[in-house]
Amino acid sequence: MSLAHRMAVESPNIQATCVEATEFLDLSRRYHVSGVPKTIVNDTIEILGALPEDAFVREVLGRPPADSSSSAPA
Amino acid sequence: MPLLSESDRQAVRTQLAGIAHPVTLLLFTQTFGEPETARLTKQIVDELASLNDHVTVEEVNFVLDKDRAAQYGVDHIPAIVVLRDGEDTRMRFLGAPAGYEFMSLIEAVTVAGGDDSGLSEASRDLIREHVTQPTNIQVFVTPT
Repeated sequence: MSLAHRMAVESPNIQATCVEATEFLDLSRRYHVSGVPKTIVNDTIEILGALPEDAFVREVLGRPPADSSSSAPA
Repeated sequence: MPLLSESDRQAVRTQLAGIAHPVTLLLFTQTFGEPETARLTKQIVDELASLNDHVTVEEVNFVLDKDRAAQYGVDHIPAIVVLRDGEDTRMRFLGAPAGYEFMSLIEAVTVAGGDDSGLSEASRDLIREHVTQPTNIQVFVTPT
């Protein structure tokens, strides 16, 4: 979780929320959460699993590294 | 009964020792019909706050204080909004940060109370260059 939180601290445009999936089943269903961690950015980018910092930051910004295949539009 | 053992408390105290800014955990709950996890969330943040003088908890009634809920974009409870020097850090928790996520809460408080996000210079450059629009990140986790 902490990478997303750290990004929020770096930019006034970024908000990061850690969502307890089993407590908010409506949200989990809306974003088709079947495994965790699952990251949703602006309802459009989804990232499955935990990534190293550089890969995570790039995926969140919609600029995945060239060899990445973990991001797909929702 | 406390959630943390004395040795856990000591470990958390050590982790929070570097905090230099006042950190406020805004806890959004409600009086009636609150989810079961709201009480657990309150216990977690209260125990955390008891371990460092810079960390305080402020409870906000989600139903009665709609203005503040709207100000911070809180639409579910229990929710925690992390403030530093009274300013929004834009770090949030929805649901009880129990189990492994307690570590995430400690990290968030440590980052809020310090002067460094801990991200690499490369990451900061990417964020500076590419984040020009509101970006909402939601990370779904489970407690274990």
